[in-house]
Amino acid sequence: MERYSILEKTIFPLLAPTLATIIKSAPLWILEEATELRLRASQPLLLQIGDKDFFLGRDGKPVADLLAAYVCSREDLVQTLQIVSRNSLYAFEQELRMGFFTVPGGHRIGLTGQAIMNDGELKALKNIGTMNIRLARAIPESAAQVMPYLLAGGGRVFSTLLIGPPRCGKTTMLRDIVRQLSSGVPRLNFRGVQVGVVDERSELAACRDGIPTADLGPRADVLDGCPKATGMLMLIRSMAPQVVITDELGRKEDAFAVQEALHAGVSVIASVHGRDVEDIKQRPFIGELVRQKFFDRYVVIGVSPSIGTVEMIIAVKQDALLFQRSNGVRECG
Amino acid sequence: MVISAGTGIGFSVASRYSERPRQISQLIGCLTTLKACVSYISMPLPEALKHCGAAVEGPVRELFQRTGDLLGTEGWLSPRQVFAEVMEEMATKLAFAMPEREIILQLGSNLGTTNREEQQKYLTMVLAGLEKIEQESRRARDLNVKMFRYLGICAGLALAILLV
Repeated sequence: MERYSILEKTIFPLLAPTLATIIKSAPLWILEEATELRLRASQPLLLQIGDKDFFLGRDGKPVADLLAAYVCSREDLVQTLQIVSRNSLYAFEQELRMGFFTVPGGHRIGLTGQAIMNDGELKALKNIGTMNIRLARAIPESAAQVMPYLLAGGGRVFSTLLIGPPRCGKTTMLRDIVRQLSSGVPRLNFRGVQVGVVDERSELAACRDGIPTADLGPRADVLDGCPKATGMLMLIRSMAPQVVITDELGRKEDAFAVQEALHAGVSVIASVHGRDVEDIKQRPFIGELVRQKFFDRYVVIGVSPSIGTVEMIIAVKQDALLFQRSNGVRECG
Repeated sequence: MVISAGTGIGFSVASRYSERPRQISQLIGCLTTLKACVSYISMPLPEALKHCGAAVEGPVRELFQRTGDLLGTEGWLSPRQVFAEVMEEMATKLAFAMPEREIILQLGSNLGTTNREEQQKYLTMVLAGLEKIEQESRRARDLNVKMFRYLGICAGLALAILLV
């Protein structure tokens, strides 16, 4: 029921009235486990649980026959987009360029439609034809396992790079790291530090009108929708954080901003797409940070046996393996 | 009694002529603020409408406040639908004539549907259109207010004489 109440608060109010009525009537077990909701104009309403999908009928019940499924109208999509954007697409230009909105609760709504190009660059999307609502699932204490390895003593925090493939739980773990660093961790005798968060894609804090809707603790300052490199330097100048946290490093300017932050004595915790450390070394710009050992810790995350599994924790400057998952048994650390 | 009724009707029609340019002028002020809210601070439409309505008094304030409120609570409605509904409910209070009503409805069809640049261009065009309508409404006021007042009194008198 906890999951249902989250959907009731954060998802049902975002749907066009017809869609909301149908989804609310879906069996509870489907809603409890649902991971995605796909709305396509003139196509059946689809609800996904992992890689299984269910077409829903007008009464909300799953149907095997496609002809019995409720067919989403363009009006359903338009109304849903009006609610999500609060009838203010001009306020979401960046989101439309990126192709998704992040809404309270941290859910992400992906969009496809007609691309409007300007000088070879995507300017906006119009005539939205598909909306994919990816339902966020809060995993409390998802960073509990790694926290002891991130604290350097004396209130200092190790600069850390989270490495993992897409959809392995990096952002979820990063969000919990922000919360624990900001709130403090009494069991580790850690009082909490000032944390600056650069949330370029509004995924970490799921801000609404600049206010985080995710629990980030009492000492977190969020720069929402700002490019990582610009944001990191802005936060250092304006908020004097002890730790700067950001998601998905990749560009040349990101690598430069990380170096600047570290030179300024600020710890940086960030994530990057990749299978392992060797994989990251091959990447342009970020590979250079790895080769020059700018970070103190690498945390490698995987999806097996479950999303968010910590595979390995490495002390970079000591070149030591602090933790390695091997059939669920901790080998070191 | 017949004379007072005739006078009352004449004054009532005249007051709509004198109220119309005042309300159009307030509308222009509100839309200028709305343009700034959209262009410079990307304020979401429900809040932006309430914000720009707060600067004026009377029926125009109510039009913007109620439209903003309704868009905030029933977000699946389009601004056009909400403007139409609120203007219908406020028909007796608003002194708007067909040209400005049509402009407001067209504005409702476009508000919030494009990027900032396009919204800014559209609002500039709407404001230019409203300024022309405002000038015409002032001319109509100067021509008609006195005429309808006298017409009301005269019609009342004439009817009273006929009845006697």
